[in-house]
Amino acid sequence: MDVPVWQRVYEQIDDPNFVLISAAQDTGGEAAAGPIFDAAGATYVQVIDQDHVISQAFNFVNVPSAAWIDEHGTIVRVDEGTYAKTHEFSAGDQSITFGTDVYTPAVLDWIANGARSRYVQSAQNVADKLRVFSVDEQRADAAFRLANLFRAHGQAAKAEHYWNLAQELNPESINYFRQNLTLSEEGSAGASFRARREAYIREGKDYYRPLDIAPG
Amino acid sequence: MARNLMAYPELRHPFEPTPLHPEGARTVLYQGRTIRLDAVGPGDGLLVSPADLTCVNGFELKPEGACYEALCIPLGDTVLKREADVTWIDLEAFANLLEQPFVADREAGVWSFGEIPQKRARTLIDAQAPEFEVKDRSGKVVRLADLKGKKALIVTWSSW
Repeated sequence: MDVPVWQRVYEQIDDPNFVLISAAQDTGGEAAAGPIFDAAGATYVQVIDQDHVISQAFNFVNVPSAAWIDEHGTIVRVDEGTYAKTHEFSAGDQSITFGTDVYTPAVLDWIANGARSRYVQSAQNVADKLRVFSVDEQRADAAFRLANLFRAHGQAAKAEHYWNLAQELNPESINYFRQNLTLSEEGSAGASFRARREAYIREGKDYYRPLDIAPG
Repeated sequence: MARNLMAYPELRHPFEPTPLHPEGARTVLYQGRTIRLDAVGPGDGLLVSPADLTCVNGFELKPEGACYEALCIPLGDTVLKREADVTWIDLEAFANLLEQPFVADREAGVWSFGEIPQKRARTLIDAQAPEFEVKDRSGKVVRLADLKGKKALIVTWSSW
């Protein structure tokens, strides 16, 4: 998990002109994400984003994703599979590795060098990188927010209707797919999730957006 | 797609049924905000006052139309509804005019709006960061405008 890793990076940067906003895309709210922030002793800006507002603002469809915003409000890097480090853990007799060690050094370089950092991308690069959502994909985001509002007000039938609509309108959103699975019997990392990942691999699609930073 | 939606109904819908807003009011969702509008025009649509138009999306009603910064959209009768001395703006018709995507539940009086394409273009073409509003865990509102003059790294993650 990157939440504690980002805390160490934040402490290392220790710059009053640097803001780190970590936004948990979690309809489970404080109960689901809060303890993870607490366990990390996080002091950066912690957001529990039940409506996935941040993902919607940047057209992200999976986590982790990130945006760099400079002093003038310009996006200078965006929408990559942005793990803060390589994580290894064992599941049974298997060792599973995911993440990357190249992203955090790029962040540090940007903080140190600003616009001169070689990791800063031009407006054209950023524009090319940002996903352009179809009308249906944008309506998916609107439907997801509507579903969550109905859910928060205990209106189950309408919540289910709009939650389903969000997935139908944007079937490529891994966020909506897995968020929904969290409340199913199999959970977010069960058979449906594995089948989806395998389909991505089979079809040659990226599960995470490729990180455009050379290793080493 | 997962279809076993009600596997854990107590988890999916643990909340007590409560009204979204008082009878006759409307709720608008936009850019992360939940905006309750108490004074709306007649009918079951979304007729809002000029002040509420500005409150929702920053557009101001001027003689030349609805304006946001340098952008002005001329409005016709489809959007502007005059009733005696009162002017209402049909926010749904305005969204249609701007080609702004939305999903509405008219029965419940809720409109959930996507971004206005003219604002979106700034992000998708000029790489200007999008407007958003979220609350941090202490309840403090965090907006894009608060980040001006600083470098900001925004990362998403999830517990799932």
